[in-house]
Amino acid sequence: MIVPEHWLREFVAPRLGAQALAELLTMSGLEVETCEPVGALPGGIVVGRIVSVDKHPNADKLTVCKVDSGRQTLQVVCGAPNARPGMLAPLALVGTRLKDLEIKPASLRGVQSEGMLCSARELGLSEDHSGLLELPANARVGAGAGKALRLDEHIFTFKLTPNRADCLSVLGIAREVSALTGVRLRAPEIKPVKSGIKDKHPVRITDAEGCGRFTGRVIRNVDAAAPAPAWMRERLERAGQRSISALVDVTNYVMLELGRPLHVYDQDKLSGPIDVRWGRKGERVLLLNGQTVEVDSSVLCIADDSGPIGLAGIMGGETTKAETTTQNLFLESAFFFPEAIAGRARRFNFASDASHRFERGVDFANNVDGIERATRLILEICGGEPGPTVDLVKRLPKRKPVTMRVARAAKVIGIEVTRKEIESVFRRLGLSYRKAKDRFTVSPPSFRFDIAIEEDLIEEVARVHGFERIPAVPPRAPARMRARPEARRSLHELRERVAACDYQETINFAFVEPAWEADFAGEADPVRLLNPIASQSSVMRTTLIGSLLANLRFNHARKVERIRVFEVGRVYLRDAAAADGPLAVAGLRQPMRVGGAAFGPAFDEQWGAPARAVDFYDVKSDLEAVCAPRALRLEAAPHPALHPGRSARVLIESEGGFQPAGWLGELHPRWQQKYELPRSVVLFELDAEILAATPLPRPAQPSRFPPVVRDIAVLVDATLPAQVLLDVAQAEKPAIVQLIRLFDLYQGTNLPAGKKSLAFRVVMQDTERTLTDGEADQARDALVALWGRRCGAILRA
Amino acid sequence: MGSEELEAIVARAAADFAAAPDPAALENAKAKVLGKTGELAAFRSSLGSLPAEERKAAGQSYNSAVQRIENSLEQRRKQLALAKLESRLAEEALDVTLPGRGRARGGLHPISRTWRRIEEIFGSIGFDVADGPEIETDWYNFTALNNPENHPARSMQDTFYVDLKDAQGLPLLLRTHTSPMQVRYARAWVDRHRRTAAMPPIKVIAPGRTYRVDSDATHSPMFHQVEGLWIDEDISFADLKSVYVDFLRRFFESDELRVRFRPSYFPFTEPSAEIDLQFASGPLQGRWLELSGAGQVHPQVVRNFGLNPEKYIGFAFGSGLERLTMLRYGIDDLRLFFDGDLRFLRQFA
Repeated sequence: MIVPEHWLREFVAPRLGAQALAELLTMSGLEVETCEPVGALPGGIVVGRIVSVDKHPNADKLTVCKVDSGRQTLQVVCGAPNARPGMLAPLALVGTRLKDLEIKPASLRGVQSEGMLCSARELGLSEDHSGLLELPANARVGAGAGKALRLDEHIFTFKLTPNRADCLSVLGIAREVSALTGVRLRAPEIKPVKSGIKDKHPVRITDAEGCGRFTGRVIRNVDAAAPAPAWMRERLERAGQRSISALVDVTNYVMLELGRPLHVYDQDKLSGPIDVRWGRKGERVLLLNGQTVEVDSSVLCIADDSGPIGLAGIMGGETTKAETTTQNLFLESAFFFPEAIAGRARRFNFASDASHRFERGVDFANNVDGIERATRLILEICGGEPGPTVDLVKRLPKRKPVTMRVARAAKVIGIEVTRKEIESVFRRLGLSYRKAKDRFTVSPPSFRFDIAIEEDLIEEVARVHGFERIPAVPPRAPARMRARPEARRSLHELRERVAACDYQETINFAFVEPAWEADFAGEADPVRLLNPIASQSSVMRTTLIGSLLANLRFNHARKVERIRVFEVGRVYLRDAAAADGPLAVAGLRQPMRVGGAAFGPAFDEQWGAPARAVDFYDVKSDLEAVCAPRALRLEAAPHPALHPGRSARVLIESEGGFQPAGWLGELHPRWQQKYELPRSVVLFELDAEILAATPLPRPAQPSRFPPVVRDIAVLVDATLPAQVLLDVAQAEKPAIVQLIRLFDLYQGTNLPAGKKSLAFRVVMQDTERTLTDGEADQARDALVALWGRRCGAILRA
Repeated sequence: MGSEELEAIVARAAADFAAAPDPAALENAKAKVLGKTGELAAFRSSLGSLPAEERKAAGQSYNSAVQRIENSLEQRRKQLALAKLESRLAEEALDVTLPGRGRARGGLHPISRTWRRIEEIFGSIGFDVADGPEIETDWYNFTALNNPENHPARSMQDTFYVDLKDAQGLPLLLRTHTSPMQVRYARAWVDRHRRTAAMPPIKVIAPGRTYRVDSDATHSPMFHQVEGLWIDEDISFADLKSVYVDFLRRFFESDELRVRFRPSYFPFTEPSAEIDLQFASGPLQGRWLELSGAGQVHPQVVRNFGLNPEKYIGFAFGSGLERLTMLRYGIDDLRLFFDGDLRFLRQFA
């Protein structure tokens, strides 16, 4: 809503500057987004009166004018075609600076010129350069031209909240200013225009749940081609409305002034009576904006015998619109219920000033005022003979009295507002009320659609009283201790742990390219956005991998050679079996994941160690550090994103065994090529919820006796996973074996074909006594025999 | 052999020891004087042949000479050991200015930093933390928050919809704010305390990702909010003012900043406020910066929690984490948060 200051001050004139007024309104809930001066002219531009216009002796297109500057008569050479004696125009005196031009006495083709007569463009007011900007005939010669052009005002741009439909007009804002300042409101005085003819147009309201009131009037023999007066055009333009034609301008003017949308029909184009009714399936309307829409029984229509001719409260139709050739017109001033209008325009993908107002609520008591105001303006501009105003009232909104308890207001706001002050707030807002000892009962006026419950009144009291005057009181609450469960890690701790392994956190959009889902998750049917911002971000990710690879590509393109990133975020998985729950939506699972990617050298290039590329086992070690103290097991398994020989399911130690928690592996070379990554990438993605559990320590008493260490190297099949040997040993090892650690892997040509050598360090210890060498050797031999029996292992000499 | 001779041997031994450049030479010099065939051996064997009255004095002279020789030997041994240690230490000296070796450390995203900080600040006065679904139902995102279908307030937020429907046939959506968590958390809380005589207060913040169809220099289609909710029998708008101002002063670590509450409108609060912040110093000094929406929870929403609004009242707020982070660290481009540029992100390590 854009409101020019002069228009507003016509209705309420507080002694406050524009900025102070803007501040006051903002702080009471009508946010003024901008408060800008209309324009300011440079000093030295005055109202000049052209005394005479003579041909320039040496130039066809120039004239020599004598101009009264209020102090003296100056000779000015001028090129404008519209210069004529008696005309008032802006005169830039010598010394004035206009943009890059400084006005100096000059000789133009041999004639002395002492100033410049200006067009609107030369003053920077518009693009109009067709001639001199004519000033109103009543302007004072010699006075500043800015005042004559009414540039001495500000334009308020409001960002109104949807509840304050009553402020979608100059009058509405003025009412608010009056309430806030206590300065009397001078509402425009509207006198009925007497009808000179008897013509009426028949109107029927078939569906009164949509339309409660329809006020109409016929005006015959208008000159619709007459131009709207300059003052009206100027006000409309300053209020952000382009001037179109006299009839449209008048309806816009009344809408902006009173908040009362109107519509003008060419009466001669109407076929039979107007009917307000719900649309019928299959019916179509060609609208004023050129759009044809199909209506149904949820769309309220204005119809005549030909069918629907407009969308009620939204937009009129093309076939019955008033044009500059219209002679006889029919004015509509209706009340449509917000519920009958709301959401419809949006469904057809547009908005109009009328729908914006009707869906929020239009005053249902000013229909006649709107017609009378518009009639008077039309008669002034276009002439014509008005018929009688016909006011058809079917059903008006009920305004139930709303009670506010003084004690409840104090409880909600947190301080007592006195009854006297409450009364003053209601009175200033124009809310009629009855008061009892401990409560007020308010009857909301017809222009307020936001007062239905007690809190609505409490808000009005708090707002007008001033939020700033409500003290900030620290609440009193019982001092109860709180602590996080020790056996659960928060997402922040998880992030810290991953960051400690040299990964930088990123945050990526949850919607991604469909190709990423197909490539990295084998997901052909991810959850799709119905209205994505772009096709590259049109599906909800089921894996973090695509986003992490995008991070790699972004940074690699910026010459970062070593990139390690991670993200903690949700993925979105269709699951027909998932039901609604306190934290769940049926049809979906939305688990939190932690994913990471490592690319480039294992370590930052450094002087003390040879450079080597990061590999699977580096990242495995990172995951072990992140998950500690819980142990990890990896088992080879395929994943769409990963190299088939370097892809593993990650299992994490849980009560009663190992639980699948996610994936670790190297990016499939196919994707590495497709996504133009010059080196391999190691990726992981784990379920963050599974990682959150962390068992409390259950320490055992350390042995007082020394450990004994034996190393064992065995030859096994090259394809046998090391984990098999460890598992066999874990299950059946001699009791004194405390720890078995694989410390060497050897695969060389001097070994039998298809074999590898694995070396284990075995730590033995007893809690009761010192072990003898004999006992240790015996345990070692038992292990070797066990591995021989179960894994085909041969002790390596 | 007389005592003069003995003195000469002591002096010569001392000189030999001092001249020995290393432990081996020193041991040779020692053998030369103290060894079985050394210079002192003859003197000692001659003691027995002396008359008894001289033997005592000669014995004392001999013992003293041996003692003095051993002293100087020991002194030289220590000298040599020290010299050896010193030369080894000198050889072992490092260039301490060479860079450290091994793995570096990554870092958290600035939004995560803010997120954790907010949890700490609200945790300090007993707020719980909750998170929930990002793909939401129409009911939780709008209707439960007193924003029914076709309500003009719905156009305040442009919503992403997905190709799934809820039980009512309405499309699921990406939550446009963290406010649905108010309803989810409160309903679960009420359910949990159904049999408790006096329900403990609901005190929770819910930080998380949110989505709106808006993408330009100052809007990201995905962003973060933190929701706050405190419901009890007497939590008022004045309490909201205090808690939120306190939060901002702790978050920005400044008691100087100014905060204003400006009347506004949200379907789910009444009275509603926009909260603006003004710094007393720095590049943004004196400008009012929009930060949050807040207000007293609307009675219809309290009813949707499963509570009687006559008995339970309280406040809710929602703030943008990006905005807080930008103001905190002086970041002026929103897009930096989401393009994964390590050159930017690493500065928050």
